[in-house]
Amino acid sequence: MKKLFNFIEDKLGYVLIIPALIFIFAFSIIPIAESLKYSFFDFQLNSQQKSGIYFTEHYNVTLATETFEYVDYYLDTELEVVEKSKTVEQIKTFRTEMISKEEEVLNLLETNEGIIQVSDSDLEFIHQMNKWVYDGLEKIYSNDEPFVLEEDIFLVASELDTSIIVPNFIGFDNFKHVFLDLRVRYALLITLIFTVASVSLELVLGLMVALIMNTAIKGRGMVRTLSLIPWAIPTSVAALIWAYLYNGSNGIVALLFEKMHFIGASTDLMLTANGALISIIIADVWKTTPYMALLLLAGLQIIPRNLYEASAIDGAGKIKSFFKITLPLLKPSILVALLFRTLDAFRIFDLIYVLTGGGPGGKTESISIYAYKMMFAQTRFGYGSALALGMAVVVALIAYFYIKVLEVELISD
Amino acid sequence: MKDTKKLFYIIVGLYLLIIFFPFFWVFITSFKPESEIWGSEALKVISSNATLDHYKALFKANIFNSLKNSFIIASFTTVYVTVLASLCAYSIARLKFWGKRLLLAAVLGTSMFPQMIVVGPIYRAFVGLGWINSYWITLPYSMITLPVAIYILVTHFTKIPKELEESGMIDGASKIRIFGEIILPLALPGIFTSAIITFIGVWNEFLLALTLNPNSSYHTATVAISFLRGQFTIFWGQVTAATVVVTIPTLIIVLVFQKQIISGLTSGAVKE
Amino acid sequence: MRKYLPLLLIFILVISLAAGCTVKEEPVVEEPVVEEPVVEEPVPVEKTIVKFAVQADSTGALDAIISDFNEQSELYEVEPVIMTNDSGVMHDQLMNSLSGKSGEYDIISMDVVWAGEFAAAGYLEPIDSLIKDAGWKVTDFNAGSMSSGKYKGKNYVLPYFPDLGFLYFRTDIVSEEDAAVLVGGDYSWSDLLTMAEKYKGENGTLYGHVFQSKQYEGLTCNINEFSANWADIQGGLETMKAFADSDATPQDILVYTEGETHNAFLNGESVFARNWPYMNGMAASGDYNIDVANVGYASLPDGGTVGGWILGINNNSQNVEGSHEFLKFISGPEGQKINATVGGYLPGFNALLEDQEVLNANALLTDPGFQVALTKTIARPVVANYSEVSDIIQVKTHEFLSGNGDIESATQIISELFE
Repeated sequence: MKKLFNFIEDKLGYVLIIPALIFIFAFSIIPIAESLKYSFFDFQLNSQQKSGIYFTEHYNVTLATETFEYVDYYLDTELEVVEKSKTVEQIKTFRTEMISKEEEVLNLLETNEGIIQVSDSDLEFIHQMNKWVYDGLEKIYSNDEPFVLEEDIFLVASELDTSIIVPNFIGFDNFKHVFLDLRVRYALLITLIFTVASVSLELVLGLMVALIMNTAIKGRGMVRTLSLIPWAIPTSVAALIWAYLYNGSNGIVALLFEKMHFIGASTDLMLTANGALISIIIADVWKTTPYMALLLLAGLQIIPRNLYEASAIDGAGKIKSFFKITLPLLKPSILVALLFRTLDAFRIFDLIYVLTGGGPGGKTESISIYAYKMMFAQTRFGYGSALALGMAVVVALIAYFYIKVLEVELISD
Repeated sequence: MKDTKKLFYIIVGLYLLIIFFPFFWVFITSFKPESEIWGSEALKVISSNATLDHYKALFKANIFNSLKNSFIIASFTTVYVTVLASLCAYSIARLKFWGKRLLLAAVLGTSMFPQMIVVGPIYRAFVGLGWINSYWITLPYSMITLPVAIYILVTHFTKIPKELEESGMIDGASKIRIFGEIILPLALPGIFTSAIITFIGVWNEFLLALTLNPNSSYHTATVAISFLRGQFTIFWGQVTAATVVVTIPTLIIVLVFQKQIISGLTSGAVKE
Repeated sequence: MRKYLPLLLIFILVISLAAGCTVKEEPVVEEPVVEEPVVEEPVPVEKTIVKFAVQADSTGALDAIISDFNEQSELYEVEPVIMTNDSGVMHDQLMNSLSGKSGEYDIISMDVVWAGEFAAAGYLEPIDSLIKDAGWKVTDFNAGSMSSGKYKGKNYVLPYFPDLGFLYFRTDIVSEEDAAVLVGGDYSWSDLLTMAEKYKGENGTLYGHVFQSKQYEGLTCNINEFSANWADIQGGLETMKAFADSDATPQDILVYTEGETHNAFLNGESVFARNWPYMNGMAASGDYNIDVANVGYASLPDGGTVGGWILGINNNSQNVEGSHEFLKFISGPEGQKINATVGGYLPGFNALLEDQEVLNANALLTDPGFQVALTKTIARPVVANYSEVSDIIQVKTHEFLSGNGDIESATQIISELFE
């Protein structure tokens, strides 16, 4: 016990960070690595052949046995309509042989359900068996009989091929597709417009409010407290509040915009691409400007008062001292706030998801929304992961730009 | 001079009006009967037939259950994330060990990563473990909240005067004792701040809650409220009432803990 | 109590981690699973619960069907899980649950266009054996519903309620001669456009014809009809644009959904309208300007798109037996009869089209024009990636209609989807 205590005491620095590290490792690092893996596969949950990460050939035994059952059942149905005894014989022999083939393959694979890895020789056997089934069916249906299920039975039998799963590793194809996908370009454009517009508006308005709050006005504490509210409201709730204000039939903001002739009819606001994008930007500015103001106010409050007094003595006006003193000293606070806001805005998801769902007609789809739709509506996890990684690269570039070019200092010693 | 002051008050007034108007409008709508929400009376401020029907209807919907889920998930995450972050932040702020700066950079880095990138794999893992629709969701919330909490706490620990520890060391106290008996009590306000920020962060989270807990009995408040929208018609009366109900906890937290929140938000943004 | 188990385990874990005793412990995630104790035996219930994922039904038919079934079944109790009314969101939610191999829903109600995707993914249980065991044939059910749930030669669904697009017209405006042509169903799109232009303005109408051409799923349905089930895509696009550009349709026809359509028609603003059966219920309610006695029905020139909802069984359901029982009930004559009489839906079980009670409850069914429409239905493509395909159709069609795209590229891109 003593020994353990000494060890901990000695290495306390490491001991204390390890618990947090384990969590960061399990829920950030591993998932990111996993995402990277997905992005190299044509990994798509809603396809029987791609719903896993397959480096080698696999065989869907469940589907194959179901298919055999179906072919057998359909042939049994045909027996009721078939007229010639020769065909009846032919079908009966085929059914018996097919079932023994099936048993053979199941014995070979030593299982009768699930998706299993298969060797090259197994695969060869399966291919031959499939060909034998197709040929046999072709022969049966070449007879002149009043068959009723000809079309269906060949479609069903084709599932024997679907049961063979080929490796879905596709190298950089997903990334290539990201570059060529027009929808990605459009989403990137929308995301950038949103980011630049909302962050710059928030900065200007936030700075204005902060400067006013920094002068000795009455009730400053209250204004500061109230400013917290939009920030603290969950984004999805804020989005719903704005959805109500914007709605075409009774939304007060939509009606106001119509009266002010910003838009033709109140319904246009959410139904046109520009209207919807502007609506999103307004909602975001509403939610985040107060937060920006608080950050900047905190920065303003640590600028020593005597600097202003000194410059006043020198005869500098308010405006001059703003540019000479306030802005340079506030620069670090502004940049840190901008960095976090830019990254946040670039990742925007909740607000758009609830307010427009990416609509009208995909016209307000941000990168996050697109990636989400790929992964969770179309279950294309491979492509979705490639998109998310692409987004991460852009985020990293933005962060790099701020930190290296604008010299934002995040870590101080 | 007097005119500028007046102008300032007007701007501040306008600012407060804009901040508050959406809430106000949603609040009054929640008391209007559905018939007055639509049509010619939609813009009336005070309804002549004020009603509590929409609030009553909420009992049938899932809102209260989802508030309970949010509360449980957020409280729990707050407790464990704060414990982990305090230890880690103390270590980063005070103890000397190799790779410290790199570690802090990595922590900050993960907080900047788009969440979209981890959602897919975490979802797949949860499916595999059978954890979809459960309170296990508190585990991945560490991904969002831990870096922020560590960042806030590092700033707070750095502010505690070194002399106190040094005098403890001279007395021969172990590092563990110094941390437990000297640092922790002093750091409590900071820890509290980070806890509040963590709580709000989890309470407001949407993407993970949406993907990992899709079943309505495990919805958190943020997700439940987004599902109130229908395809062709939206019952704005109920939606606004739900919005009011969901907003109240947030308002209480903000009003009670405003000092801590502001200190938490501005730590790091301000270089002192 | 079981739901709080994760919290307890995480708590223990964090405390032990924090205490620094378990420094060497391996990744956190795996650990709690091992510790998870076996759940206590479920209390034996008399009836097995069968979960049915379905949207709310304001007509009361769903409640009636479920309570009737629960009353008569000795083994099973159906519990509806009411899903969101937003179909897009419901689709994503189902996708999410099914791809997670979850058995939380036993029976799933689906929009007709989802079945191809779900069947291809292996989420649904084929139901051919069910149909056979019940002594039915596929042809006993609504053809449109069944074909939307047929994938690679297997049937995966039974009807919940079928729906189809058709033409509404004003009998007080359209001449008897023209009405006879429409009701007979033997007319072309250009005949319709001519009539729309001719009658526009009569009896206070503002428009000749209204239909759906906003960029959304409804646009896919409409272009399906204009192009005669994709037989002539270029011609269909041209016809649709001729309608959109004509003075006989509203200026903002390109933002029209069902909502705008029924508002225009029910307020007496339009002579013709393309819509689903639900609009007739609204017309008959008497809440609108229009008198239902002045409404006539006809098939669309090249057939109406099949819509509606269908039912399938989750491949991961633990209650296949119970699901079969309920599916037989709801899609069979008993359930469909309740749906038709209480809910006013079209019956998906064909024999009911001759049932007197059903005919009494739904006036549409005895209308000669509507009966023609019933025989002329066309389906949207049944493919695994339907939402993607429909998305492209919508974007390309809307681009062309709004004058932002040329017809060659639209035709080419849409045609490629069908190869």
